[in-house]
Amino acid sequence: MRPHSARVEVAAVNPRRGGAVLVTVLLVWVLVLSAQAPARGGRGTVLQAWFLSLSAPVMQAVGGVSRAVSRRIEATAALFDAREENVRLRRELDARERELFRLRAEALEDAEDRRLLGAGSGLPSVIGSVPILLVERRAGVQSVLVGAGSAEGVAPGSPLAVPAGLVGRVVTVGRGVSRAQLLLDASAAAGARIARTGELGVVRGDGHGTLVLNNIATTSTVARGDLVESAGIDGIYPRGVPIGRVSSVARGSKLFLEIRVTPSVDFSRLTDVLLLAPSPAIREGVEAGRSASR
Amino acid sequence: MKAGRVALLLAAAAVLEFFVGRSPYRRFLPIDWFLLATAVVARSGDFVRAVLAGTAAGALEDALSMPLIGMNAFAKAILGYGLTLVAVRVVFGGSLAVGLALFVASIANEAIVALLSALLAQSPLVIVTKDALWRAAVTGLAGGALESAWEFPWREWWTRRRLRRLR
Repeated sequence: MRPHSARVEVAAVNPRRGGAVLVTVLLVWVLVLSAQAPARGGRGTVLQAWFLSLSAPVMQAVGGVSRAVSRRIEATAALFDAREENVRLRRELDARERELFRLRAEALEDAEDRRLLGAGSGLPSVIGSVPILLVERRAGVQSVLVGAGSAEGVAPGSPLAVPAGLVGRVVTVGRGVSRAQLLLDASAAAGARIARTGELGVVRGDGHGTLVLNNIATTSTVARGDLVESAGIDGIYPRGVPIGRVSSVARGSKLFLEIRVTPSVDFSRLTDVLLLAPSPAIREGVEAGRSASR
Repeated sequence: MKAGRVALLLAAAAVLEFFVGRSPYRRFLPIDWFLLATAVVARSGDFVRAVLAGTAAGALEDALSMPLIGMNAFAKAILGYGLTLVAVRVVFGGSLAVGLALFVASIANEAIVALLSALLAQSPLVIVTKDALWRAAVTGLAGGALESAWEFPWREWWTRRRLRRLR
C-alpha cells in the first residue's frame, strides 16, 4: 500500500488544481462531441453499440433480478386483494368473450376484404416481444434500452409497438441490447395520417410527453378525438398502426393547423414491446452496409 | 476517497439504474443514481476525484441512453466541481441542504444536456419538464435521506439499544 501523503491530500482539495482538471475534461468532451455530431445522421455511434454489447450480460442479469423482486412484491400484494381481483377478472372475462365474438365476425369480414384488395402486405410483421431494460427521459431525449440485439434479428430502424399503438424505433444495436428512440423524443418524427379524413402529416414528439401533428392545412376538417395512425410514408414505420388521438386543434399563424395529439400508448407503463420487422428500405440499407463492410 | 471506492460507487449506480429501469415501479423512482454517486465523491472535498467521477458517471449514462456520448459526461464534470465547492465552502449542512443542492444540480444537469443537445444534435430546446422536476425532486429526497443515514449516530444508537435491553 502507498504511504499516506499529506501533500497529495492538500493538492487534491485545491480548487485550482480541480479547475484545471475540469477544464481539461470539458475540452476533451467538447472534442468527442464535435467528432460525433456531424457523422451521426440520426443513428447511434459505433462506440455506443460496442458499449451496449459489452454491458448486455450485466443488464440482463440485473434486469432479471429486478423483475423477480417486483414479481414477488406483486405476488405478496395480490394476496390481499385476490377476492376483489377475482370478481373483476370474471367481469373482464365476460366482456372479453363478448368482444372476441364481435372480433371473430370482424376478422372474417376483414380477411375477405384483404383477399379482395390484396392489402395483406401492408400489415406489420411482428418479430417478437422484447423487454424494456431502462427508460431515459432527459432534456427532450426520450429513449429506452430493449433486451434484444443483433443476435435476435434487431436492425437499426426496426419499429417498436404495443397493441395500443406505435412506440418508437431502434437506433443503436448491440449484440444483446439495443437503444430505441421513443416517439415522444423531441427529435423523433413519423409520417402520419388522420384516419377519418385521410390527410397526411408529420407527427413529432415535443419532448414533454405529447405529440404534435404538423403539415395539416387550415382547410382540414380534423376534429378533437380523431384517430391518427402511421401513414407508412416515412420509410420506417408500417402503415395503419395507431399513434394517438387529436386532443386539440388550433389555427396557427401560418398555412397549417396546430394540432396536438395524445399518444394512444401509455409510455410510463411500458414493460415489454413488440419488435416489428424493419421496412424494406431499411432492410436494403442494412444489407448494403453489411456488404460494403465485407 | 480511494479510486477503488469511486469505481465501486459507479458500478453500484449502474446496477441500481438497471434494477429500477427494469422494474414496473420505475416511474415513481426516476432517481439519478449517477448524480448521487458524483455527489458522494464530491462530499469528500476532493475536486479532482469529483470531476473525474462525475465525468465517468456521465459517460456511462451517455453510453447507455443518450444519442451523443459526452453530454452527461460534460454536465456531470461541471456538477462534480460545483458540488465539491458547495461541500467545501458552504458552512450550513444537513439533509435539507444536501437535498436542495441535489435538486438544483439535477435541474442544472438537465439544462446543460438540453443546451448541448440543441447545439450539437439540433434538437428542440427542452429544459424544464414535469419529468425533469420529478426526477430532481426524487433525487434530492434520496440524497437527503442518504445524508441523514450517513450522519445518524448508528453506533451510539446500537449501544443505547443494547443497554436498554440488558436493563
